[in-house]
Amino acid sequence: MAEITLDKVVKKYGAASVVHGIDLEIAHEEFVVLVGPSGCGKSTTLRMIAGLEDISGGIVRIGDRVVNDLPPRKRNISMVFQNYALYPHMNVRENLGFGLKIAGESPDNISKRVDEAAAVLGLTPLLDRTPAELSGGQRQRVAMGRAIVRRPEVFLFDEPLSNLDAKLRGQMRAEIKKLHQKVRTTVVYVTHDQVEAMTLADRIVVMRDGRIEQVGTPMEAFNHPRTTFVATFIGSPPMNLLPGVIAGGAVRLADGTTVPVPDRLKPHARDGRKVTLGIRPDDISPVGHGLSQDGPGAEVDLTVELAEPLGMESLIYTRLAGQEVLAKLYGPRIVQPGEQLTFRMALDRAHLFDAETGQSLRLD
Amino acid sequence: MSLAVESQTSKQLKRAGLTALTFLLMVVMCVPGLWVVLSAFRPNGEILAKPPIWIPEAPTFDNFRKIFGLGTDQVAIPVGSYFMNSLIIAMTSTVIALAIGMAGGYAFARYRFRGKGSIFLGLMLFRAVPGIALSLPVFIIWSKLGIIDTKIGLIIVYVSLNVPFTIWLIDGFFRQIPLSLSEAAQVDGCTRWQAFWKIEFPLARSGIAAAGVFAFLTSWNEFALASQLTRSTSSKTLPVGLLDFTAQFTIDWAGMCAMAVIIIIPALILTFLVQKHLIAGLTFGGVKG
Amino acid sequence: MPFWRRESATPFLLLTPALLTMAFVVIIPLVFSMYTSFTGYRLVKPDSLYDWVGFRNYARILSDWEFWVPFGRTVLFLTVVLNVEFLLGLGIALLINRITWGQRTLRTIMMFPMMFSPILVGFQFKFLFNDNIGIVNNALQSLGLSDGAIAWLVDAKLAFFSIAIAEIWMSTSVFAILLLAGLFAMPRDPLEAAKVDGCNAWQTFRHITLPFLMPFAYIAMAIRSLDVARAYDIVTVMTDGGPAGRTEILWTLIARVGYDNSRMGMANAMAYVSTILSILFTWYFYRKLVAARRYMGGAQ
Repeated sequence: MAEITLDKVVKKYGAASVVHGIDLEIAHEEFVVLVGPSGCGKSTTLRMIAGLEDISGGIVRIGDRVVNDLPPRKRNISMVFQNYALYPHMNVRENLGFGLKIAGESPDNISKRVDEAAAVLGLTPLLDRTPAELSGGQRQRVAMGRAIVRRPEVFLFDEPLSNLDAKLRGQMRAEIKKLHQKVRTTVVYVTHDQVEAMTLADRIVVMRDGRIEQVGTPMEAFNHPRTTFVATFIGSPPMNLLPGVIAGGAVRLADGTTVPVPDRLKPHARDGRKVTLGIRPDDISPVGHGLSQDGPGAEVDLTVELAEPLGMESLIYTRLAGQEVLAKLYGPRIVQPGEQLTFRMALDRAHLFDAETGQSLRLD
Repeated sequence: MSLAVESQTSKQLKRAGLTALTFLLMVVMCVPGLWVVLSAFRPNGEILAKPPIWIPEAPTFDNFRKIFGLGTDQVAIPVGSYFMNSLIIAMTSTVIALAIGMAGGYAFARYRFRGKGSIFLGLMLFRAVPGIALSLPVFIIWSKLGIIDTKIGLIIVYVSLNVPFTIWLIDGFFRQIPLSLSEAAQVDGCTRWQAFWKIEFPLARSGIAAAGVFAFLTSWNEFALASQLTRSTSSKTLPVGLLDFTAQFTIDWAGMCAMAVIIIIPALILTFLVQKHLIAGLTFGGVKG
Repeated sequence: MPFWRRESATPFLLLTPALLTMAFVVIIPLVFSMYTSFTGYRLVKPDSLYDWVGFRNYARILSDWEFWVPFGRTVLFLTVVLNVEFLLGLGIALLINRITWGQRTLRTIMMFPMMFSPILVGFQFKFLFNDNIGIVNNALQSLGLSDGAIAWLVDAKLAFFSIAIAEIWMSTSVFAILLLAGLFAMPRDPLEAAKVDGCNAWQTFRHITLPFLMPFAYIAMAIRSLDVARAYDIVTVMTDGGPAGRTEILWTLIARVGYDNSRMGMANAMAYVSTILSILFTWYFYRKLVAARRYMGGAQ
């Protein structure tokens, strides 16, 4: 059993703190993705789990062992690095078998397990090549093979796909997912790419400035963001955020436009409270061209500033209460700049955040 | 059409000019050394000839036989001993400087610590102390310690002479190896020590060899300190020995040329072997926090 | 945990042997020579080591033309030689960068003078510039450019010139090789951008190539500054400061006063002046190098 527990984990460089007391529990065989912008502390956290970075405070457990003072080799983990970190002076076979050799496995056993891992990843024809002779995707696969061949309790991935081009990245994402289904182990995966996070994770951990903003399944983070940060970070294009004040059961925006407060948030909307209205581009569309026409809605007339046709849908740039707002039009209709359209906001999918703290009102 | 032809010929002219200039450059670089080498294989009479004889008419190894005391005609200068002294002193000091330099270079390349930049700069500044200026106090202290005019005395000096630059070079080579390789090895089950010997050392090997050659040649070529710290046959090195010739009233040009060739040969061979790595090390080593 | 078991102690442990050797061979002797420079120590009179004279040695050398002339000559020599080496090295690097064949072979050939023993370089040029049998005079005479034997190493100005030639021959490669490495590492995009922006060849060189090369020039300067005192070897073998002290430089003067005249106290005072000079020189270029690298930012 290899669950991982972080208990108030802190990382400091001198006086500067980069991870401020993180609490996190990762279940056995769970695939957890740490996601956030660069500098949010996600890689540092991963490296503390790996033992490559000293832990300045708090406790890290793997299984039922406290690993704070254990070197990486005693933590029963393996790791895939951003630049793959293949040993340039060894061929693929030696790269895969290195960990087993260090562990003192017999040559027969090593070659058997290397062959197995190579077969799983389709590396068998490449075993005698050196890393320099491999393409980016192949190197990536060797790096994963090196991780699985040792059958560790925990896999750590540090932005493993960021050096690949978009197409290959999609392919490898699927392979990682399949691999996890085949080799059930606990996985901690770090990325700055929210698409990777959404597609791979059982649970995602959104981080910012050394703190955890939200932990949950990808759909939870998407549908119920706890903060404006999560709301804009998860989902593409990002959620529109409009500042306003609650007045008489509605949000009054800067230019006086009012948008009714959705029923589920009514209890938190006392008059005079400053809020931020959040609505995803998918949920604001010209009437008749939206995802769904049911449920509560609010209609506004807006002028198209720019339209980006994407085939079956178009992204529309418009302006509401003096702010740029992105909307989506579903269907193959051509829209011209300057055109005036009536847009419908799906209020059951709108969010309200406290203007000061950025916290969702439903958390009050 | 004619314009194109014109620019074609002007291009050819330019290329010919460049080639000629390069050729001239190589002549200037090579001729002085080559002349000494050629003269080493001439009898003294040919060296003194006027007008000069360009290509040796009667190439001979006599000069070499003479300085090593092999022929009937001998010089009074024990070049054989000097050669052995030089070899022992340069090799020993190189091996020690490499060991010390590897530890130091690794520390600079792989660790962050207080005063890193100042320590690095300090090492370089101590290296900058002119040999002759350093020789004065070392001469006095070594006399008191009883290691003046011994091989060991000179070896100690050369080790410290070579350590700063060896650190500069080796730091550069380790820096070029991504840190994640060592980390991957540690995750794969190595201790830091194993990760060093199995991953980082093999990858830096050619660079370390280049640093070793540089250290060897520095010791092999050094004169200012050696000329003051060694006096007798049992410790004098080749560069110091070369000056023995000029102490006599008539200069034995042929003998000196032959001895020069003996000093040059290791420099030529070793430089040729490691020049590529040496340039890489000089360019990307050192500096930066 | 004791200090030496901690992770943060590792780099200091690794550096200990290096620091110890430097302490033993450089720092302790330098402290000792600092002391000696305040005494009237003479090699032939061991007791004079305890003969404290305060600043007398310094006062004497600083008010003595016998010191200032070689000092000025040394500074002049280094200024001329280093500037010529830089310009020649830059020219050679640009030349070889344009050549389309055998760049690496040419570079290897250039490395050889660098690896020669300075004493050998001195001897080599003494041989070439010899007034009687030297190839230079022989060549000039056979070409009819000169009828008599030119006394290269006897006339003060010519001797200075000959020594400078030897020094330049030996060390120009340091600049040429490092600047060439800079040219090889130079990214093409800024050059092409400059061309598109309408720069002519000279402007491109002046505003793009040269600033990019400066860090490499500073590396070369920093490396050269470590061994400028090698000129001692060359002068010793070529003229030994002669004729009549007219090619005497700071370092040959130190050797003469210290060993030949056995006035160690005085020599140590001079040595201190020369040490400080060398250290300032290295420090200056090292700082320039660090600054240039920082300013270059992502390019490296």
